Amino acid sequence: MAQTVNVIEIENVVKRYESGQGVVEALKGVDFHARHGEMVTIIGPSGSGKSTLLNMIGLLDTPTEGTVHLDGTDVTDFTEDELTEERRSKLGFVFQAFHLLPMLTAVENVELPSRWDTSVDRRDRAVDLLERVGLGDRTTHTPEELSGGQRQRVAIARALINKPDVVLADEPTGNLDQDTSDTVLTELTRLKDDEGVAIVAVTHDEQLLEYTDRVVELIDGRIQS
Amino acid sequence: MTRLGLLRRFPSVEIAWQNLGRNRARTGLATLGVIIGVVAIVSLGMAGAAIQQQANTNLGSLTNEVSVSSGADSDEDGVTDGQVDDIRSVVVDADVVPQKSNATTLSTRSGERTRVTVSGVTRADVLYETSAGVAPERLRSGALLSADTAAELGLELGDPVEYDGTLYRLRGFIESDEGFGPGGDELVLPVSALSEQEHYDTVTVVAEDGNAATDIADTLEAEFNDEDEEILSVTSFAGTQEDINSFLGTLNLALLGIGLISLVVASVAILNIMLMSTIERRGEIGVLRAVGIRRGEVLRMILAEAAFLGIIGGLVGSVLSLGAGLVLFDVLTGDPMLVFGWESVRYLFYGFGFAVFASVVSGLYPAWKAANDPPVEALRG
Ligand SMILES: Nc1ncnc2c1ncn2[C@@H]1O[C@H](COP(=O)(O)OP(=O)(O)OP(=O)(O)O)[C@@H](O)[C@H]1O
Ligand SMILES: [Mg+2]
Repeated sequence: MAQTVNVIEIENVVKRYESGQGVVEALKGVDFHARHGEMVTIIGPSGSGKSTLLNMIGLLDTPTEGTVHLDGTDVTDFTEDELTEERRSKLGFVFQAFHLLPMLTAVENVELPSRWDTSVDRRDRAVDLLERVGLGDRTTHTPEELSGGQRQRVAIARALINKPDVVLADEPTGNLDQDTSDTVLTELTRLKDDEGVAIVAVTHDEQLLEYTDRVVELIDGRIQS
Repeated sequence: MTRLGLLRRFPSVEIAWQNLGRNRARTGLATLGVIIGVVAIVSLGMAGAAIQQQANTNLGSLTNEVSVSSGADSDEDGVTDGQVDDIRSVVVDADVVPQKSNATTLSTRSGERTRVTVSGVTRADVLYETSAGVAPERLRSGALLSADTAAELGLELGDPVEYDGTLYRLRGFIESDEGFGPGGDELVLPVSALSEQEHYDTVTVVAEDGNAATDIADTLEAEFNDEDEEILSVTSFAGTQEDINSFLGTLNLALLGIGLISLVVASVAILNIMLMSTIERRGEIGVLRAVGIRRGEVLRMILAEAAFLGIIGGLVGSVLSLGAGLVLFDVLTGDPMLVFGWESVRYLFYGFGFAVFASVVSGLYPAWKAANDPPVEALRG
């Protein structure tokens, strides 16, 4: 049952941006879903709405129309504070630009999403995750002492610290060369299988498609089927 | 371990501390602004306190005394026994010491001579403090002499001095008063020594404090004098002290105002620096919000950064101001240790408190802005 249910489900989502030059419709009625243990990749030309869709899935932005369900709960009308709680407990993020805090060590960066939750000590899990992405000997290094691929693996460990249901990755290999991308993607898919999370990735990178279970193509704000 | 143990419970504070270490130059400059503000407030406040203290020392014990002498319209050439009794009956809770004055020349066997004022009093202990020997309850047979005069003439306790053909034994030395008022070369004798003078030259009323002295002066004025007849001349220094104090109070406020302005300037600098640093870290704060850090937690983190700037600046500023205060008090009052009196040391607490308060207030807007920045916008950059 749990394996077949959609952890994320988006129905008929429209996102309109109103700016000085008029209204931009970035998403024009999109349906999307992902299951536990599944990796879905969103592709499409630049400006087609991939990041916008990922922001809806990641509860970073709210749709103009349509509904968003996370883990069976309708979160469409959640307040910003409720969305923050959902993101903290159920989602993990990997960004193209890594976005690690420069003054924190690798292990401190990994445990950052759980830092304000003083009731649990995630230090052991953070070290464990770093070991699993092959950085067991780099735990006390700061980001500037790490290579690009190592930084992205720290970011992957950070995305998993709170045992999320879904990990969202916008261009996770966008700043990495081919070999480094391979290492990072291998870690990502292995952790996906170990932890049973859903991964939703956005990419221009053909290489990423080799690791993915399903591909969704977005053109001009619509899913192509 | 203790740092980890304690700070880990306050992640906003711990991360704020780490953030301050990232741009040391900026942190240093912001702190410097606070330091200048605190030093300005504290040292100006302390200067005021030092001036006030010095003024009070100069007025000395005079402020609780009322001095009464024969008025312009009196028929007598002094204050009569009857008037002294009248004064005693009007004045409560105060010592009334009638006194006769004259002058004489003291000489020693070795031929040293000096001119001194002679005061005949009934209660020497009320009016004089002795640095050696004792002020006897009622000076009947002995004499008191200014310590300076005694030193000049080489006189010691127990030595005899002569006045009007009678010998008096020195029973004590009068401490020289730094301020203005009675002092200088003075020989104090029992009032009987000046018995050829019929009336008293002055009557000194020693009250509890300045306020009581003012009340007594008013009562005496009303009792003995009216609009166009002054039988007794009544002088009190309490009013003078009040005037001086109110002037010094105003001066103090003006000085503090100048200090406050510099702290306002410092808090504008903190506002600017915090705003710059949050704008610079917009993406980073967006990431924090994206991974589920609450708005209140981001707010507290940035407020803690501002508070740290205030605390560090306040501490360093206080230490520097204390140094400045020591110098100020040394110059103005001659005793640097007086700076530790509450009247001046309290400005350290005010300065520190204002610094932390102003910094946190300056941090409010940047913190609020950063906490409420939508994470998508922040991440887009
Ligand atoms: N905040 C915004 N205000 C106005 N228009 C926006 C905003 N965000 C996105 N858009 C518009 O929405 C459309 C989709 O943008 P989106 O960032 O989702 O594209 P994308 O598929 O991620 O492109 P890329 O591959 O270049 O990253 C674009 O036309 C863009 O200009
Ligand atoms: Mg994009």
